[in-house]
Amino acid sequence: MSSTVQKNKTWPVIFGIVGVIVIILPFFTGPYVQSIGRTVITYMILAISWDMLIRSGQLSFGLAGFFGLGSYAAVLSAVNLHFNPFVSILFAAVVAGLMAFLVGAVVLRLRGMYFAITTLALGEIFRIIIHNWTSVTGGPNGKLLPKLAFDGASIPTYAMMVVFALVIIALSEYFKRSKIHYALTAIRDNEIVAKSSGINIYKYLLIAFTVTAAIQGAAGAGFAQLYGFVTPESSFNANYTLIPLAMALLGGMYSTWGPVIGAVLLGVLGEFLKLYIPYGHLVVYGIIIILVLLFMPQGIVGMAGKLLKKGESHE
Amino acid sequence: MSKKLSALLFALMLIVSMGTLYATGQQGEGEAKPIKFGGVWPLGDITGDQAAKAAQLVVDELNANGGLLGRPVELIVIDSELNPEKGAAAIERLATVEKVDFFVGGMSSGVHLGQIPSLKKYKKVTMWTGAASSTAEAAVGEGQDWYFHLHPWDYNQGNSYVEGWDDIAEKYSNISIDRWFLAYEEGPFGSASFAATQTLFADMEIDGEAFQSAAMGGGDYTAVLQRAKDYNPDVFIWAGYGADALPIMEQAKAVNFTPPLFIGAPPGWPSDFGDSSLAENVTLYGMWAPSISKVSAVSKKFQDAYEAKYGETPATYFAPLGYTSIEIIAKAVEQAGSVETEAVIKALKAIQYESPLGETISFSPSNVISNQGFRNQKILQWQNGSQEVIWPFAFATAEPAYPFTR
Repeated sequence: MSSTVQKNKTWPVIFGIVGVIVIILPFFTGPYVQSIGRTVITYMILAISWDMLIRSGQLSFGLAGFFGLGSYAAVLSAVNLHFNPFVSILFAAVVAGLMAFLVGAVVLRLRGMYFAITTLALGEIFRIIIHNWTSVTGGPNGKLLPKLAFDGASIPTYAMMVVFALVIIALSEYFKRSKIHYALTAIRDNEIVAKSSGINIYKYLLIAFTVTAAIQGAAGAGFAQLYGFVTPESSFNANYTLIPLAMALLGGMYSTWGPVIGAVLLGVLGEFLKLYIPYGHLVVYGIIIILVLLFMPQGIVGMAGKLLKKGESHE
Repeated sequence: MSKKLSALLFALMLIVSMGTLYATGQQGEGEAKPIKFGGVWPLGDITGDQAAKAAQLVVDELNANGGLLGRPVELIVIDSELNPEKGAAAIERLATVEKVDFFVGGMSSGVHLGQIPSLKKYKKVTMWTGAASSTAEAAVGEGQDWYFHLHPWDYNQGNSYVEGWDDIAEKYSNISIDRWFLAYEEGPFGSASFAATQTLFADMEIDGEAFQSAAMGGGDYTAVLQRAKDYNPDVFIWAGYGADALPIMEQAKAVNFTPPLFIGAPPGWPSDFGDSSLAENVTLYGMWAPSISKVSAVSKKFQDAYEAKYGETPATYFAPLGYTSIEIIAKAVEQAGSVETEAVIKALKAIQYESPLGETISFSPSNVISNQGFRNQKILQWQNGSQEVIWPFAFATAEPAYPFTR
């Protein structure tokens, strides 16, 4: 028993060391790795936010929609209201969160695939409005930011994204450890039982949807501040829905660390494959994802947990 | 169990660390001896694939002739994956890990917008083959002397179409161009084309409608084609991507839509489009066609060399653009006798370059930037499976087939 306790203590220590190495390493490896790091973190934040909502059983395909909405909110507020980068990111989070709150009040009565398709359509509606509202959004040509966050300097922008990621990880962990977690898990497991236990299903789903949309909006704003532009096609790109989803599935759902590990592995793997298999790397990338999901459907974190339990039962 | 768990965690750490180290490459090694060109193109797309191959062709030719300033020449190409973040990361890698001397490449304005902050950070001599959107030109801004742009901007292209069709209508009195219908993909490329057409052909009757390109998950054009048919235009033009080319022709046939002039304006055509009977007499815009080899010795030399090396015909104008991007810098380096940025910029500003696209170009200011190369597109037509030039008349390889018949 005591050795199990000891092992359970070493697990977070080793995990923490790995995490610190992964975060710190890019500071010493130059702008290229920092650039990859920023991209990985952007997708990681999206993956965590998607996972935070799926913990309630609600499958959202609206990531790209709120990401794009946040991008535009940040750029338009910076251009028209002269908000500084940080205020524009916060503003974008508020805009995306508010939009999710208003829309969620209606669509959160839907469940399963109906909710998923609605969120997908929502993103498309945002994109079409922005595409056609040329006088405000610049239409298909988009808008340029007059000035990038930290003038685009690599280290401060990477540091900004690291801080952003840590905040979202902390928020996700708070969700995991607070009563919200029990409410969302109960809703996912059996809504009728949850309701008869006094859980206000609608309230908790609305909280989760609003918070995760705000995170996605802030991630979009971060993207805009890093690259200095928005266009409907880039900002609402389906990649911002599909890639985080693959990352969360690979790492393992219903946890903070699954999406984190999935994002780091797939982000680094994608870049590695591109450099060493310039032609056909996307095919190899796709095959790896399929194989992992086939043979590790519970994801990396799920598999590690399973191994841990198995080992403990042998001792 | 703790051994298993530790092994798992260390394996994870190893994978991440190795990935990062591999990605970091050989940073910290001594200065590279070759003169290095860093290229960024979308290798999964025919435009980027052929541009990168053509660029490598010049590098091989230079090395076969003793290199540049007595030094070997190296080309490092990274796939942009048509993604702004990946395109920007590629610039960062080329600048800081590969330590290239020059940047070349480019296809897609959206990707270029993401790359411009990185390009501005390093200010290396940059010879860009893509990005037509004037938003990208605004993002580059004024006073960036290191930035050279080969591809015409959207307004350059529009102006050349007006000039071309006016010339054609004047020369061939049977060709009517008074009533236009533009079917355009709903992205920046198509929408900008429609806006530009409305402005440039303001004295003509114009209507249009957007469609979702097959490249973006669409592919049903029947509603747009039916509307165009009801409008009964003299000229029907679609502005989309290569993926739209065959489906749009098939669906036009299905709804029995045969306008007198059927124009397609994608940045790159599928390589086998000419093999389809549906291609016959379709008019298109492009900076180049293999048939230009009949009237340009430089173009012929390029095409022969490309076909000999790769066993395929360069099907997109990005191939000669990719070739041009390297060769024009190489010539400037030779003239400057140095790879030093200021010297190369000075040589490039003075250059008269006979390009494989047919024209002899020099750089001069456009609306915003200081160094714009090509300004014209050409009007071409698919005839007997190949693209023939019908305008400018100086490069014409065939008479226009009119009206369009199926």
